[in-house]
Amino acid sequence: MKILAIDTSCDETSAAVVDGRRVLSNVIYSQVLLHKKWGGVVPSIAKRAHEERIDFVVDEALKKSKFQISNVKHSFDICHLDFDIKNSMSKIDYLAVTYGPGLAVALEVGIKKVKELSKKYNKKIIPVNHMEGHIYSCFTQNSKGNPKREFTFPYLVLLVSGGHTEIVLWKDYLDFQIIGKTTDDAAGEALDKAAKMLGLGYPGGPVIERLAEEAGNVDPYKFPRPMRKSGDLNFSFSGLKTAFYYFLQKMPEEEKNKMIKELVSSFQEAVFDSLLIKTEAAIKQIGIINLVVAGGVAANRELRKRMKNLAKKYKGSVVYPPYKYLNGDNAAMIGVAAFFKAKAGIFVKHIEAFDRIPRLSL
Amino acid sequence: MKVIRLTDNNQAKVIKEAIKIIKNLGLVVFPTDTVYGLLIDATNEKAVKKLLKFKNRPAGKAISVFVNDLVMLKDNVKVNNKQEKMLDQILPGHFTVVLSSRHKVSKLLESEKGTLGVRFIKYKPIIDLVKKYGKPLTATSANLASRSPHHSVESLFNELSETKKKMIDLVVDAGKLPPNKPSTVIDLTSEKLKIIRQGDMVFNQSQSFISSSEDETKKIASFILQKLLKVKNADLRSLTFIIEGDLGVGKTIFVKGIGEYLGWDDIISPTFVVYYEYPLLKKFSFKKLYHFDLYQLTDTEEFKYLGINEILNDKNILCIEWGEKAGEIMELLKKKSKIVYVNMKYVDEKKRKIIVNY
Repeated sequence: MKILAIDTSCDETSAAVVDGRRVLSNVIYSQVLLHKKWGGVVPSIAKRAHEERIDFVVDEALKKSKFQISNVKHSFDICHLDFDIKNSMSKIDYLAVTYGPGLAVALEVGIKKVKELSKKYNKKIIPVNHMEGHIYSCFTQNSKGNPKREFTFPYLVLLVSGGHTEIVLWKDYLDFQIIGKTTDDAAGEALDKAAKMLGLGYPGGPVIERLAEEAGNVDPYKFPRPMRKSGDLNFSFSGLKTAFYYFLQKMPEEEKNKMIKELVSSFQEAVFDSLLIKTEAAIKQIGIINLVVAGGVAANRELRKRMKNLAKKYKGSVVYPPYKYLNGDNAAMIGVAAFFKAKAGIFVKHIEAFDRIPRLSL
Repeated sequence: MKVIRLTDNNQAKVIKEAIKIIKNLGLVVFPTDTVYGLLIDATNEKAVKKLLKFKNRPAGKAISVFVNDLVMLKDNVKVNNKQEKMLDQILPGHFTVVLSSRHKVSKLLESEKGTLGVRFIKYKPIIDLVKKYGKPLTATSANLASRSPHHSVESLFNELSETKKKMIDLVVDAGKLPPNKPSTVIDLTSEKLKIIRQGDMVFNQSQSFISSSEDETKKIASFILQKLLKVKNADLRSLTFIIEGDLGVGKTIFVKGIGEYLGWDDIISPTFVVYYEYPLLKKFSFKKLYHFDLYQLTDTEEFKYLGINEILNDKNILCIEWGEKAGEIMELLKKKSKIVYVNMKYVDEKKRKIIVNY
């Protein structure tokens, strides 16, 4: 089953063609590329950027998916360009799009495009929750069908990024239940903000990862582990942020500079500890030992190491997104999630009324 | 094209050779701490053009430069005292720092905003080379645009056409480089937003509260909201809360208080996506609650995409965290909504002072 998927939930315009779990093409056009820039430094709220690029990104994804083979002859002829797209579209079974959660004005662009394609080529639309996509990113394969991970439900999922921090009980392909979530900031956001407090600029997560690594991931300051004793599986990072702010206020400027690596390392440890504590609590409470860790922060090597050790302690397993691009936002994972939804017959019924839901939950 | 092998004992000779070529505007492939890099004189526009042509790099894409110490760094980008102390700690290292350029290097290497990426690394051959040359050299990976960088000269050659190979004047081969991650980019440039000053607004009433817990902050927020909702048809416009205060002071908590009164108990920080919207029940006579966080905004340009004008055309409630950054759209907010100005301050670790003007 071939699906053309679109994701415009935040600042990446992305389209992909998947065949089941296999990714035939995935095109990500982020602000980073357009505005020259510096590897994701400048965050943008880019309705216009999405609008400008969505057509290009969709066309590229179709072109790169390589199943317009029968049409190679014509592709040299400019006049046949539209025909090529049409030909590619005829090989697509369904369309898929992220309808939330995310930035409203950004989501709108993807939805509008998918409605247009649906009308033009008479294809059904599969609505996908961005977080379903992130979860399925761990089971997304390359065009050759690797890695061959099989599903061994149920899983405990830790979804951790700049915009999300959730523990999800994943019982079956489409059976998700949020059992823990942040009550304020996301973990990735907390890391970004700590970096900002130290004048480390943006994006903070990767900078902190690197500096903490240089410090040997030590924890000399022992910042508080928020909600450790809350009894539930929820997270909170705003208290930690405040504690950190206060700590820095009291610290002499000289020492702050001298200890910058230790400071960020300690902060990262506090954030990761909170993630670990709640994940372990979930393992104990629910009795599930197979873990899935997804989202941007899942790219952090220290977090991966600690999650691996946690799984080992309970004789369980842990999987992460197998390819680097799958950590961030991308349409490939949306396509893979859509594949499982299509198999279950989940399609948009009233296309006219289909709209984005910025605070969509699982 | 000349290829020389870099060994432990011929470094001085290799550097001398490389400098000779670079001085003549030549293109040199050279090992770095991460991957093979393309080195040219960063201050020479002609050389830079040659590099861009080689890389097929579209114009407007910035390229960072190597420096050999903090002195050369400060000579090429603007660094304030605070930034300098920080750079002192993290450099040399695996970072590319982005700062305002002093325009001593070719403009083609800078970003549209006039910033420049600078790399001060630990890799000795590069340090020695730049030191000896006395001017910054480009620090871009030796690959064509949109292709992956190379850890060995062999893999680079596999990618290049004969025409491209001819453009290279010297290749310094140090064998297979260890698979290090690319450098981490740190943007240290400051924001260019107009900040709201107290004088921009005139208020009738001012109230101060001391909150000693998150719950109290929420109660204060809902108390203010209720008070404003009670004012009968005084204002048919939208209602805008401009909330200002340091990181971690509790701005989101304040909005949570407003949200809870309006029936939304799961308000979370919108920093990542800039804003969230929450539809409101009919009884409130406002259509939606918009929760903005301008924290990530650094450029006035970005306000355009937020659609604040359209939001204000309906009767909505807006809560804007980091509202002081809204200087650019203050006139618009003032014209189309009633403004409540909330200033939050740390008293101590638990206590906050909340000043509300409206």
